[in-house]
Amino acid sequence: MSELQPAKGRQGEPSGRTLPTWWLVFTRELADLWIGGKALYLVLIYSMLLGILVYVLSFNSELSLIPPKEMVYEMLKNAMAVSLFISLIIGADSLSGERERSTLEGLLLTPTSRRQIVVGKFLAGISAWPAAFAIAIPYLYVVSQGDEVLGPAILWGGLLGSVLVPAYTSLGMLVSFWSSSNKTSYFVSLGIYMLFLVPAQLPGRAQTGAAGQFLQWVNPVAATNHFLSKHLVNYRTLAEFWTWLTSPVVFAVLSLGLLFLYAGPGLRLEGGRSSRLWSAVRRATGSLMLGCLILALGVSPALAFQGEAPQGSGLQISIDLDYMVVKTGDKVEFNTLVTNQGTQASPPLIVAMNIINLDAKGDVVDPEDWSPQRTQYIDSLPAGGSASLGWIINTILDGDYMVYMVLIPAPESQSATSQPVASSGIHLTVTPFTRLNPGGVLPYAIGGPIIVLLGIFLVFRLRRRAIDTGAPR
Amino acid sequence: MPSRVARPTSAKSGRPSKARSILRSDGQILIAEDLRKSYGPRPALRGLSFSLQAGRILGFLGPNGAGKTTAIRILTTILEPDAGHFVVDGIGSEHPEKIRRKIGVLPESLGFPRQMTGIEYLTYFGQLYGRPAADARASGLTLLEEVGLQQRAKSLISTYSHGMRQRIGIARALINDPVVVFLDEPTLGLDPRGQQELLSLVRRIARARSAGVILCSHMLSEIEVVCDDVVILSAGQVVASGAVTKVIGQAQQTLPQQNAVRIQVPSPLLAKARQLLKQIPEVRNTAPTVGKPDWLRVELADSAHGASSKQHINNRILQALIRAKIPILGFEAEGGRLQDVFMSLTEEAIE
Repeated sequence: MSELQPAKGRQGEPSGRTLPTWWLVFTRELADLWIGGKALYLVLIYSMLLGILVYVLSFNSELSLIPPKEMVYEMLKNAMAVSLFISLIIGADSLSGERERSTLEGLLLTPTSRRQIVVGKFLAGISAWPAAFAIAIPYLYVVSQGDEVLGPAILWGGLLGSVLVPAYTSLGMLVSFWSSSNKTSYFVSLGIYMLFLVPAQLPGRAQTGAAGQFLQWVNPVAATNHFLSKHLVNYRTLAEFWTWLTSPVVFAVLSLGLLFLYAGPGLRLEGGRSSRLWSAVRRATGSLMLGCLILALGVSPALAFQGEAPQGSGLQISIDLDYMVVKTGDKVEFNTLVTNQGTQASPPLIVAMNIINLDAKGDVVDPEDWSPQRTQYIDSLPAGGSASLGWIINTILDGDYMVYMVLIPAPESQSATSQPVASSGIHLTVTPFTRLNPGGVLPYAIGGPIIVLLGIFLVFRLRRRAIDTGAPR
Repeated sequence: MPSRVARPTSAKSGRPSKARSILRSDGQILIAEDLRKSYGPRPALRGLSFSLQAGRILGFLGPNGAGKTTAIRILTTILEPDAGHFVVDGIGSEHPEKIRRKIGVLPESLGFPRQMTGIEYLTYFGQLYGRPAADARASGLTLLEEVGLQQRAKSLISTYSHGMRQRIGIARALINDPVVVFLDEPTLGLDPRGQQELLSLVRRIARARSAGVILCSHMLSEIEVVCDDVVILSAGQVVASGAVTKVIGQAQQTLPQQNAVRIQVPSPLLAKARQLLKQIPEVRNTAPTVGKPDWLRVELADSAHGASSKQHINNRILQALIRAKIPILGFEAEGGRLQDVFMSLTEEAIE
């Protein structure tokens, strides 16, 4: 050790060109995450998952019958779900992990603003998203099979991911901010992640019921998925479904605001001290989780047992389509008109769709696989009144089919019955569609992870050149 | 620093103005006045007051739970005190960011990023203190040389030994050329050579940089050797403070007289030495010293009171060992060391 130099005047205020703290922390955290850090490994796992998914989608003969639009949507949904998980995990480790590794104290001892430290860490935390999305694009391309849905999928996936990923990262950081241990932080974050998945696990009827719809609307992830599904798969416009973007945006604003305005300036060495707020958050999360479970269990049976009513007469139903030739994966849209030609108001009406395979040796059709709207309901029609209903069919299998509607007046009482009225049929000829070629998908499925792996190798090589490893060169 | 030795007393209620009133007197670079902190109902610090002068090393002593770490965290602005005030180089504790520019800290358990080299680490922290990158790197290289790590500047810190990590931790604490340096257990886990090297470094920090150093340690011998002043904490209160020699001197006057000596001999010869000393009539008892395996505590008979009588017996003991060709590695009168003062003053808190 050499002699220490006597101090030639203490260092005062900074002089020369200095960089802002948030930038310094951001670049440092970025290096930590991506040079041998967890982001690199998480993205590698992510690319492998997407590779497996794309291969399964194309190889499995049942799954490969799904139209390209739905495949793109499924792919995008899964890519976003995993990206959000990665963001949450990185956020959850950002502060409590530093506490556990005893590196936070060193940072807090510097004369830097706590908020700037948090901003730097946050920016590094969201860095995995651009990489994850870039990796997803080739997979989206291969499952789209040249369909026009690819462009909107990339646009909306990128936009909505860029809203949700920062929200999830800041949520993870908030949990990390209040957690005294990294284990707690991971556990709570995982709980929150599961909580957001609850509406997707509701039984089918519960999801389409009012409570289920509300739960989906409130849940930022479910709302985003709903919007993407309607916009990308069902050709619905932004004007029709923009309200479904409310909860992701509000969620992002809230979590970012809470992180930067409330938690950021109060960053401290010990986590979990201001436990009043934390306890409130935990209680609220627990109550919400419980509420969702009760809804999941309660809504479905309630909906299942609803609706038995009196009979009516003089009713007719017509369809605005007679015959159509389409190919597998195409969407068929048509309308039905229900009219009440009687002299009295009708009882409530139920319109059910049926699809029959005209080939006696063909597969039996399950209409629920073909359309999300197998049954629709109409309130009582006045005498001479009419109601128009829109229908969508996704052609799943090739073959010759008859599509027709049955109009059922609700029976008057439990012991009464009613006379259903059938519509004319639509003769639907579905021609086969070229399936995804598993062999053609394989290069993408394997290539993606290999490219990421090569990237990791390259980063390590470059890093090893920059440092002194002690090994002979 | 005025020296005092006292049993724990109830602390006065402190106000910021008190600290300000003694600001910048006698070249003091750190003045703490009546700092208090509680964790829930449990008081951790009950009125800590002391001062530190430039170029001096102050030892911070106390048993576990005495409030040392709380005190350090308050003085380094990591924790806020419930009451009290402190001033670092003329800056009051109401300006924590400004204080952090003036201090350097080596916390007890400082973690290091796995993927950073020594020079990257120091450059990064230099920049966080507001230095341009080139300037921070140059300072980092100078500091690495000063702490003897210039050869490992481009090695990952994760490949450093424990001693090297402590040294780079000290280099980091010096990156902003601090007025006050806090070192919390810097020699913990180091081998004897590493301890010596680090203590030399601490001395040089104080002398060459004219920085005040606060050294927190459990190693009483180390505090005694390297520190100019000492503050002994017990149950959150200061029980003794002042120059090390004065604290020991005053303690010898106020504490009950000890009638024993301690002798260090090679471990294999401990039994032989005990056997030999038992034959001396003025020796009442011999026993191994707790925590020091090669030291013997030799209790003298009551007749051995008085300076000349003690010196006579000490001579007899030493002669007996020399004649038996037992090497004497250490010899000290009990009650004359900082350890004895510490044990005596903190006894109540430990009990």
